[in-house]
Amino acid sequence: MRAGRIALVIGALAAIVYPIPLQIQGTTYYQTVGFLVLINAMLGVGWNVIGGWAGQFDFGPQVFFAVGAYTAALLYVKLGVDAWLGLLAAVAVAAVMCAVLTYPLTRLRGHYFAIATVAIWMIAQPIGATWEYIGGSQGLFLPVKPPAGVVAEALSLQFSGPTKSMGYYYAALVLFAVTLALMALVERSKLGYYFRAIRDDQEAAEGIGIDSRLYKVIARSITAAVFAAAGVLYAFWALSVFPEQVLDLHWSTLPIMATVVGGIGRLWGPVLGAVILIPIAQIMSTTLGTGPLAGRGIDLIVYGLIIILIAAFRPTGLLSLPWARWLRLRRPATA
Amino acid sequence: MTELAQAVVNGLQMGFLYALVAVGLTIIWGLMEMINFAHGEFLMLGMFGAWWLSDSVGLDPLLAIVPIAVVMYAFGVLVYRHLMRRVQGGDPFTQIFATIGLLFLLQNAVVAGFTSDFRFVNDSLLVRLSGTRLSLFGITFGVPLLLAAGLALVLFLALYLLIERTEFGLALQATSEDRDAARLVGIRPQRMFAVAWGLGAALVAVAGAILVNFFSVYPQVGLQFTVLAYAVVALGGFGSLLGTLLAALLVGVIQSVTVIYLPPAFKDAFVFASYLLIGLFRPQGLFGRF
Repeated sequence: MRAGRIALVIGALAAIVYPIPLQIQGTTYYQTVGFLVLINAMLGVGWNVIGGWAGQFDFGPQVFFAVGAYTAALLYVKLGVDAWLGLLAAVAVAAVMCAVLTYPLTRLRGHYFAIATVAIWMIAQPIGATWEYIGGSQGLFLPVKPPAGVVAEALSLQFSGPTKSMGYYYAALVLFAVTLALMALVERSKLGYYFRAIRDDQEAAEGIGIDSRLYKVIARSITAAVFAAAGVLYAFWALSVFPEQVLDLHWSTLPIMATVVGGIGRLWGPVLGAVILIPIAQIMSTTLGTGPLAGRGIDLIVYGLIIILIAAFRPTGLLSLPWARWLRLRRPATA
Repeated sequence: MTELAQAVVNGLQMGFLYALVAVGLTIIWGLMEMINFAHGEFLMLGMFGAWWLSDSVGLDPLLAIVPIAVVMYAFGVLVYRHLMRRVQGGDPFTQIFATIGLLFLLQNAVVAGFTSDFRFVNDSLLVRLSGTRLSLFGITFGVPLLLAAGLALVLFLALYLLIERTEFGLALQATSEDRDAARLVGIRPQRMFAVAWGLGAALVAVAGAILVNFFSVYPQVGLQFTVLAYAVVALGGFGSLLGTLLAALLVGVIQSVTVIYLPPAFKDAFVFASYLLIGLFRPQGLFGRF
């Protein structure tokens, strides 16, 4: 896979350089677009573990996005714990909470499991909206204490001033890269093979001694940990956490759609999907401007069409297209 | 005590409406084992159709049921023929995503056409009756809801007879149980699936035309009903029509009783909590045949 490695290097370089010309031009809006692409790519890579490898349809991972955001925000607001420690705590809390909630659910299979994950989300919403300790429907506000210097900003995950968007872009890039690297390890480890064995044939997997319920719980807890980490980053970026925002359905639908468009069960699938899908909404809102079709859900119509076309014609996703053959065919023509 | 009894009675009446909302899903998901996440969008189309006919031509939503049922039946058949048949043989997740795509497409096509504003039917038989009440043993019945619940029950029973007592219904059940065997006795499974999608879409759209008398309509209205319908069908047990009816009544009662004791935000949370509880102890649903 030399072509793959070249693509990886080019992609990584592009991701690192991307915000710099924008910073010089002063169009920091597109840095935020990049930030959203990275967050959704990271969430997609995380969702791929339970949805793509373990083959369990989880439609409620946004619960753990919220758990992460709230945990770090509470630690910061009430105890003054800084962001990165808060992130570690949030990941741990979300993983444990997910394990406790998911173990009983693993008795359910297929669509019943999927509905159960939605059920937990439905229950989480009123709890988030009415629990006074976490601020009810108003939520929590994270007071800004902009520290001096780039290093101090990065250490406290509080970027401000003209480089704010760039700072959060690179923070997202770091979290995304760490997630991707860890998931690449999981994919090649025994864990990854167990997950896929359960997906492909649960009875056969149990026959060779894999405890399917345990490994489904592990898979979903890994997904929950990734969602929690992203939730923390989002909370410090938005400087607030409230239920309607962090429990929004799009925190699961967008990453899941990105995963399916790019290629479900493939490590890089969600990344490609997020790069294609997420900018659509942003480009639509800038090109439609204040015209008659602005705010009329045109971007979501396009999403719907893309998903339908992928499901109907290429359910294994864009990465599964025979790229290598096409590129090789074209090489003599261009040379 | 009367407060509780009143809540139960109100919940039961809503339950009949929920049964009509969910029964299309019982046919598509429970019987034919196909997933449809755009179920609530079919409902939304029914509600919008009824609102539009009432607003532009002055047709009462209860009369609009007929044209809406016809149009949505055709739409359901089209969706099956051109989309769902293609993904039917593949991984189950392709059905999930084909219908999620459909959800986004339909919902936002309506946003593009009508904006996300909330709309109400101002002039209809049930709206005009909204002040009238009947009293029985200290429990009051709002006449509009009582009529709507009665209509929903009649439609539900008609569907029950169609599925359980006619040759067509038997052919549908035979296709659901063993497609190849059904083909051997001369049933065309593709046709049965298309009819199931047509029926499913028509029924939920009709439910929408009834609900539009009580709820405002906006493009995103479907999702809450989709999740509720899934809980009802799973609670009732896959493919059991009577199970769907009883589960829908239970859901209606849980909702209205919850509201007495807790903030209204928890109304759906308890429905889903009961789904989880029942799912854990009786995974086949309350009245499941499998």
